[in-house]
Order: sequence, then structure tokens, then C-alpha cells
Amino acid sequence: MLFNSIQFFLFFIIVVFVYFALNHRMRWIWLLLTSYYFYMSWNPSYAVLIATSTIVTFLSGLLIDRANGIHDQKKSLGLKKLWVFLSLTINLSILFMFKYYNFFSTSIERIFSYFHSPIYIPSFDYLLPVGISFYTFQALSYTIDVYRKDVKAEKNFGRYALFVSFFPQLVAGPIEKSKNLLHQFDEKHLFDYVRVKNGLLLIGWGLIQKMVVADRLAILVNTVYNNPSAYKGFEIAIATVFFAFQIYCDFSAYSDIARGAAEVMGFRLSQNFKSPYFSKSIKEFWRRWHVTLGAWFKDYMYIPLGGNRRGRLRYYYNITAVFLVAGLWHGATLNFIIWGALHGVYQVMGDLLKPIKDTIVKTFKIKTNTFSYKLFQVLVTFALVNFAWIFFRASSFTYALIIIKNMLYFNPEVFINGSIYKLGLTPKDLILAILSIGVILGVNMLQRTRSLRSKLSKQPIGLRWSLYLSAIVVILIFGIYGPGYNPEQFVYFQF
Amino acid sequence: MLRKAIGKSIIFIILVVFVISILNSIFIIKTGHRSKLIEGLYNHTGNAYDVVLMGSSHMNGGIDPNVLWHQEGITSYNYATGGQPIDVTYYLIKEVLKNHNKPIVVVDLYYLGLTDEYGEEGYVRNALDNINFSMNKLVAIINCTPRQDRKNYLVPIIKYHDRWKELTKRDFLYDTSESYFAKGFEAGTDKYGKEASNNVLTTGIIDLPPKTEEYLTKIIDLSHQVGFKLILINTPYNYDSTSGSTNWVEEPAKMFNKVAEIAKNNNIPFINYNDKLSEIGLDFKADMNNSSHLNIWGATKVTADFGEFLKANYSLLDHRSDNKYAQWNIDYSHSQAASISAH
Repeated sequence: MLFNSIQFFLFFIIVVFVYFALNHRMRWIWLLLTSYYFYMSWNPSYAVLIATSTIVTFLSGLLIDRANGIHDQKKSLGLKKLWVFLSLTINLSILFMFKYYNFFSTSIERIFSYFHSPIYIPSFDYLLPVGISFYTFQALSYTIDVYRKDVKAEKNFGRYALFVSFFPQLVAGPIEKSKNLLHQFDEKHLFDYVRVKNGLLLIGWGLIQKMVVADRLAILVNTVYNNPSAYKGFEIAIATVFFAFQIYCDFSAYSDIARGAAEVMGFRLSQNFKSPYFSKSIKEFWRRWHVTLGAWFKDYMYIPLGGNRRGRLRYYYNITAVFLVAGLWHGATLNFIIWGALHGVYQVMGDLLKPIKDTIVKTFKIKTNTFSYKLFQVLVTFALVNFAWIFFRASSFTYALIIIKNMLYFNPEVFINGSIYKLGLTPKDLILAILSIGVILGVNMLQRTRSLRSKLSKQPIGLRWSLYLSAIVVILIFGIYGPGYNPEQFVYFQF
Repeated sequence: MLRKAIGKSIIFIILVVFVISILNSIFIIKTGHRSKLIEGLYNHTGNAYDVVLMGSSHMNGGIDPNVLWHQEGITSYNYATGGQPIDVTYYLIKEVLKNHNKPIVVVDLYYLGLTDEYGEEGYVRNALDNINFSMNKLVAIINCTPRQDRKNYLVPIIKYHDRWKELTKRDFLYDTSESYFAKGFEAGTDKYGKEASNNVLTTGIIDLPPKTEEYLTKIIDLSHQVGFKLILINTPYNYDSTSGSTNWVEEPAKMFNKVAEIAKNNNIPFINYNDKLSEIGLDFKADMNNSSHLNIWGATKVTADFGEFLKANYSLLDHRSDNKYAQWNIDYSHSQAASISAH
């Protein structure tokens, strides 16, 4: 059940109506049932996995809590560590089996066959359970938070199961820490017109990002990236920049719809994207891009590894390790690992080159607080992010290399000879795609300094409603959806 | 607060529905079928027509209301649309009856031969997209279209929104009245040039495909319930034109024998013009546009015969001398039939 489907639309309306009609004490049961229904609409058997994760982490919480009561400090700590270890091991093992086993087994097979001693490791046939990386990380945050005493162990299993399976953020985040979300299921949420309206606005903005922008850009990106040897120079550069905005709009749309849907019912989910392409450094980019995943890695991996407090070398090691794992988190392919590694290397290099950069700035007396300098930083960061996106998007390592090789080609004639119109988008669609990127950047720019929703709410009703209706019209007309329209189907040659 | 919220939401939803209905009418493809249905169904109501002509392209280019008017003073309108399956015809008859008081209903039965459960989307849309939303349309969509397509029929913008790239002024300012003079009729002006290859007389009988039989029965039942007079016809065509088709009965001639039997049992006239070619002087080579459709000369011959049949069997007034119908004479002067008779 995708967010931009009629099924979800109907599902959500029913969920919300019943939610507000029910007594406050019953609501979590309704949300739990509907969340499992939502998840099982992909594949009913996945429910077993999420339920296992839920039971393991729930029990870990109770056991850690009990261990807290043991007076013998050493024994208490030992037990607590054991429970954390078991919870992590079981959850990560499930994740490994379903997401990484085949990747690692074939990689090992390849290494062995490279040394002329082939081995056979049986493969494991399955469908990757939707959102497994998201909910596993969310569930693990609970075990660690209880261990750190950031939250109390939840005693109500059903309510805890809802925390792991809450449908708005179940399959693609935002990844919530237990300390942010768990207590919200105890709150009494009244029907608040303004809040509901704000939630719906966020959903609407998400739908525009997804249906009008991301899915349109995807047509050009897919054309080029699925057949990279047929394209060169600017064609690949355009596709890569388009991909940067495609993935941003796609993911940001999903997060916004998740946040909006939760907000309608009174829940506050974390903001996942904060105008990331306005970042002036890779470090800043990661404070603005997929914020909740970044925060997870920071809290539960980077800081425990020592962060930047154990010397330079260790800092570089920590950064690289975190980003390698973050790359792998996105998917079990070499390209994701390279993508993660590039982001690690960017930051290490940034730190290493900082003295040189400072010297240049000093020598040439470059003013660093000017618009042009900041713009330069934004553009450099964007270019680095884009280069890494090539690996993220390319279907294989070989394709990524073809893309990089073919991109190094100067062919400005594509803008004149009509080649750019042969990348899957009609001239009008291409213009619309570029305009929509402009709108996204414009909105992102405004979002940096103010809340657009509260600004909007202060406008007269005529203007607001015109804007809402226009947004609906934009989605209906310019959205990429529906069965498609083939004029030939309608050209009826009677004679 | 809740009451205020509900009130505002209802107003907003009404506005959204209104906006969507405007978008639908802009984006729906503007075929000739659209203008004729809007004109015949909604812009000319009451007792506008003595006779209504229903069916697919065979009827669309088969019986000419202007000829019926010119020769017999009978008012009629041709609601046929290209490729219209018989189930859609049933709901279209119901739509016609909403605004027209018990006219004589003439149905062309070519599409009884369809063995698929549903007609082709483009063809079904020729009719359903151009009917206003109502319970009748909703039921038609449920019964005449595959499940996965129904929402796209209900909200046509889902299907057509990608036309934003090709919209023209005509989509915004669509004047359906321009072609009203033709009364829904349009025939080709080609000459087939070949004989009907295999329309030999047969006495054999085969069953109708289950779904089309169901809808033929529904049409007959409807005529009894509502009390309108029903006439079934089959305009001339080469039975071979559907041979080899995987979604058509193999022997249409035998199917029409079955139809004759059903009609007789129900006391409803059925005229199979394929059996009357020599009687009406129809020359396949010169009077057909192609193997399936009459051309304007053939249509004029068939209409002339059908007009006489109507005159002889139904008490229809000749309106030609009635001043209220003066526009019909003007409309005739613009018609295809008038243009060929002038030559």
C-alpha cells in the first residue's frame, strides 16, 4: 500500500475517523491493528519478522529493567550487557539473513573462485521485507535507550508493538528513537482542527514532491541510467542532477506524508530533511539529509566508538566506519558501500585539507562571509554529493564506471540538436521538470528561515483555499499516475 | 470546533468535486461522439424525438435522421458510438429515457457477437466518458468495465491528465452544438468496390454469447417495464469481416437467426438488412464504405426503407408542415444526405 495510492487514501480516512471516534484508551489497539494490516498488505508473512523483532526488543527491555534491580553492580551490568548483546545479535541476524546474506555469500564465493578454489554456499530465496532496516533500527534504539536509562522499560506489550509498527513511519521512517515516540502513545490527542489541517497540508506537499517532481524526474533518470553507454557528457550530467532531486523529493515526500499522517492523529514525528542541498559542507549535508538515520548512527555508533574525542586517527576511522555501515544499511551492494565510503572520505579529506584551505583563504584574503563564497561552498558540496549519487543510482559497479567515463565528454550541442528531448521526457515535460526543481529549491530556501505552514495560516481564507485547490489541480494534472493515456486508443477510425 | 471543522471540510470537498468535474470536461478527449451525446442527451430533451437510434458504428453511419425527416417527417436522433458494446447500449438507452419521453427505440445488434466480457476501453469510453455522473453511470461503469479500470472511468482525469501537453483552445471552449444538424449521424463516402463474400443464407442457429444475450434480454425487459416500442435491426455488413477474430462469434449469420427467434418470441420486430439487400436495391460494391459499414449512399437506401417501415407500422405524425420544426428543414439542408442528393 503505497502512500500515493487510492488504497492508502481510503485506508487513512477510515483509520482517522475510527481513531477519533474511539475512546482514548482504546486507540492504541486500533492503531496497532491497522498498522499490522498496513504492513501485511505487502506480504502477510512479513508480520512474523516484525513481531519477532518486537518480542525480542520488548523482552530485552523488561530483562534490562529487572537487571537494574540487582544490587550487585557487577552482576547487574553484566546481565544488562548480555541482554543488549542478545537483542542486537538476534535483530541484526534477522536483518543480515534477509538483506545481506546473499550479498556476502556470493562475494565470498567470488573471492574463492578468484583464487581457483571455488566453494558453494547455498543461497536464501526470499523477498526483501519492506522497511526491515527502518523498523529494526527503531526497535534496537529501544533496547539501547532502556540500557542507558533514557527511557523506562515499557510494560504494555501492545503499546510497545505499536511503537515498532506505527504505520506512518513503518516502512521508510523517520526512524524514531523510543524516547521521542513511545510516550506519545500514552497522550490523549483531541481533534484539533488546526493540527489536522497542518497534517493534511504536509501530506499534500509530500504528494506534490512525489507525484509531480520525483516521478517525472525518474523518467529521464531511468532512461539514461538503464542504458548508460548510449549517453554522454551533459546527458549524463543532467540525469545525475535530476537523480539528486528525484531521490530527495521521493524520500522527503515519504517523510512529509508520514509526518503529516501522524500529525493528523496528534503524533509528532521528527523532521528528516532540512533543505539538504543548501549545505555548505558534507558534514552539514549529513545534518540535513535523512536526519533521523544520521542521528541514529551518531547516538548508537559514532559516539560509542569515541566520536572525535580519541585523536585524529581514531576520528577518521570512526567517520569512515560509520559511513561504510550507513552505505551498507541502504542496500547489500558494492555500490552502496562505495557511496557510503565516499561520504566518509569526503569528510576525512575535508578535515585533512582544512589547513590548506585556510591558508588559501588567508593568502588571497578571500572573504568567507560573502554570498558568492557561500554559493561556491554550496555548489562544491552539491557536486560531491552528486558524484556519490552516481554509485547510489547506477545498477552495478560496471554501470557506474561507464557513467563516470562517459560523463567526461564535452557535448554542449545536445542542448541545440534536440538530444535532450530524447531522454524520455517530452520538451514540455522537461521544462516542467526544471521548473519544479526550481520550486523545490525555492520552498527549501524559504523553509530555512521560517515555517511556511504558520505563515500560510495567517493569510485570508480566500487565498489559502485558492492555494489548496491549486495544489490539488497541480497534482491531478501534472502528477505521474494513472493508467497512462495513449491517443491511439481513442483515435477511432470509423471509415 | 468539530462542527466548524466538519462544515468547512464539506464545503472544501464540494469545491474539490466541482474543480474535478471542470477538469474532467476539459481533459476528456473531444471526439464527435462526445458532442453528439451531450447534445442528444442533455441539450435537447423533452419530446425532442419520435425515434432514437442506438448501437455501434454500424448504426452511427447506418440510419440517417435527416433522411427520416426529409422523407417521412419523423424526428429522430442517432446515439450510436463507435465500438459500443451492447451492455453500454443498455445503459445509454436508460440515459436517453431519463430526458426523452418514450420514443421508439431502435437498436443495431452487430455487437451481440462480442464474446469478451468487456468492450475495448477506447470504445467504451466513447460512450461512458460523455454521460453525466448519475447512479445509472455508476452502475454502467460497474457492469461494463473491468474492475481495475473503474476508478478511471469514474474520475476521467485519472486517465486523461497527461493530455495537458496537447490541450488546445477547443478543449476549453468546446461547442457541441456545431454538429447538431447531423443529429448524430455520420457515414463515410468511400466505395468498398467488392461483393459481400460469404453472406449466404443459412437456417442454422447458434447461441448468443452469454453476456450479450443477458443484455439483449435486459433491453427487451426494459421496453416492457417502461412501455416504449423497441425495434431490433442489423445493418448490412460482410459477416466475414469478423472471421478469425478471437473475441467474436464465429458465425454471425446463425447468431442473427437466433435473434430472429428471440424477437419473434417477444413480439418485437427484427429487421436483418443483410437478408434484404436485393429488396432495398443495395449494391455492396457501391453502397458500402468498407466491409462492415454502409457509406452515405447505402445509408440513405437503408434509411429510406426503414422510414417506410416506421410509417407503415407506427402512428407517427409527419411534422414537416409544422412550423415548430422549421429548424429540422434547415438542418437537413446542411446534411450529408442533402449534399449527395444535390449532386
